[in-house]
Amino acid sequence: MDVAWMLTVFIAAAAGTLLWGLVLKWVDRKVTARVQWRVGPPVYQPIADVIKLMGKENLMPSTARGTGFLLAPVIALAATGVAAAILWAAVLMPGTTFLGDLIVVIYLLIVPALMTILGASSSGNPHASVGASREMKLMLSYELPMIIVILAAVARSGWTFQLGGLIAAQHSGPVLYSLSGVLSLIIAVLCMQAKLGQVPFDVAEAECEIMSGVYVEYSGPSLAYWLMTRAMLLAVMPLLLIVVFWGGLDLSFPGVLAFAGKYVLLVALVTLIRNTNPRLRIDQTLKFFWFGLTPLAIVAAVLALAGV
Amino acid sequence: MTVALSKTEIPLTGFVGQVLQRLGEAVVEVEKCDRRRGFARIDPARTVEVAEKMIAMEGCRLATATGVDVRDGIDVLYHWAFEPQGVVVTLKVLAAGPDLQVESIANVVPAANWIEREMHDLLGANFRNHPDMRRLILDDSWPEGVYPLRKDFDQVADRPPLPPNQTPPDVPPEKRQAE
Amino acid sequence: MALLRELWKRALAKSLWVYHVNTGACNNCDIEVLELLTPRYDIERFGMILVGSPRHADVLAVTGSCTRQAMPRLQEVYMQTAKPCVVLAIGSCALHQGIFCEGYHMGAKVDETIKAVDPNAIIMYVPGCPPKPEAMISAAAQGMELVKTL
Repeated sequence: MDVAWMLTVFIAAAAGTLLWGLVLKWVDRKVTARVQWRVGPPVYQPIADVIKLMGKENLMPSTARGTGFLLAPVIALAATGVAAAILWAAVLMPGTTFLGDLIVVIYLLIVPALMTILGASSSGNPHASVGASREMKLMLSYELPMIIVILAAVARSGWTFQLGGLIAAQHSGPVLYSLSGVLSLIIAVLCMQAKLGQVPFDVAEAECEIMSGVYVEYSGPSLAYWLMTRAMLLAVMPLLLIVVFWGGLDLSFPGVLAFAGKYVLLVALVTLIRNTNPRLRIDQTLKFFWFGLTPLAIVAAVLALAGV
Repeated sequence: MTVALSKTEIPLTGFVGQVLQRLGEAVVEVEKCDRRRGFARIDPARTVEVAEKMIAMEGCRLATATGVDVRDGIDVLYHWAFEPQGVVVTLKVLAAGPDLQVESIANVVPAANWIEREMHDLLGANFRNHPDMRRLILDDSWPEGVYPLRKDFDQVADRPPLPPNQTPPDVPPEKRQAE
Repeated sequence: MALLRELWKRALAKSLWVYHVNTGACNNCDIEVLELLTPRYDIERFGMILVGSPRHADVLAVTGSCTRQAMPRLQEVYMQTAKPCVVLAIGSCALHQGIFCEGYHMGAKVDETIKAVDPNAIIMYVPGCPPKPEAMISAAAQGMELVKTL
């Protein structure tokens, strides 16, 4: 395939995921408001937030390292955009996947967290460095069970590391319709909650209020890029989960409806877990992921290998 | 500048009377001895001894301390509360002028540490042997030696100059690198 | 270009982020500011949320009479706020220091303090002790109209 085609796919997927992610962010805020018996913002609120931030001035503290500080949000946004493009291409056009693109997507989805650490460390602010160290520990904790359960799903799908192959192997029945699949999906939803930086695992970001800690020195367009990255992650992570565990998209009318339902269910789960739980401390989070979820993930992997 | 009342004029009855009797010779004069409230003046040379005796009494704690600018110096009042009995006994120590020195009780009663720092900041009472006499509540730009709660300090006319403004950035806001 | 600027001004009016600064208040005004987030008044439906860093903010909600200690810090916070921003002086103390204006520990008034670093600062005043949440919402609505004319 030629460069023009790839660029078109990338731009369409990234822009579409961005818009879709901002709508999902609104869904999250509206559901939170209703749960708290409030009215909540109108549907264009996250879009207004992003447009407003793009027009403010971009302040950089004199103690900050400029290059890392300004590049980090841009690289995070770009990586999430490419991951979104690969996933949507795999879902809508299964013939265009390549060997190892599952690993590429997992790698690209780690980049936003890495860039958060880079940006926070370059901020020159003690709040941000505390947030960066917590983000590092958080990453170490939630990536491990996530990768183990993805391996479990890959094992059940006949050891293909290709997204198209995963979707094809689930034509006979998604990974979810098995004991190891159910366990894997539950663990993956909790890891998704941590990756999205949502309560109860948002100890790195929401230290002081909504967006502080790692983002405390960011303003204007850089902050807008971080907001957009988080919105796109909210749109991409459920998609990854559906592709790996729940059978992807079947391009027929009931299939599209089922896909939309699964998507909405996963986003609703994120919001509901967020609204009903307090925030865990960093040591509680580490214990939860390492000594709670990782053994369960290993159990799920063993069950998958045994064919259950 | 207290009216001298001799000890024998006020009968020392009740719980307050027991407390004041236990202090013995350190009490110079008793001003009031009610069922729930007692006021007595303490010999300044025996401040620490009295504090040790008070803190050793059962149910006693230093509730707070106040300073009063009187003609002879600064009157330091220590309010000792006995919570089980619902009684407060106030012991007064005069930090006589001109150098306004009185012995600090902070080494014996840790609760008095910050209170004595505050009295030093606002009234200028000097506490000998205080373990940590730093500025507590006045801001960093307040000059030394100006005590705002003295009676001869005019709240408006004697105010020291305000702290300097933060330097605004000299680069125009469109391309600003703020500090 | 003018169209983009118009769009941006409308977005700014719909999404004002508030950072709250207490320069020596009795906390009564602060409680009233926090009440605005409760279900009864709910300013989130106007897009206003409380943020944790002055760099993210469009509105600086200042309560309290500016004490000597708070003066340089308020100026520092104002300089750290990304422009354009609106300063909302909430309560009698923030307006003119009220009954505390003759105290020994008072600094310059809030608007004088901020105008010393930025003579073109936009300052809105909400009187009251404390102002009712309805008064603060009315000030917010007038602020939204004001930013459209920036």
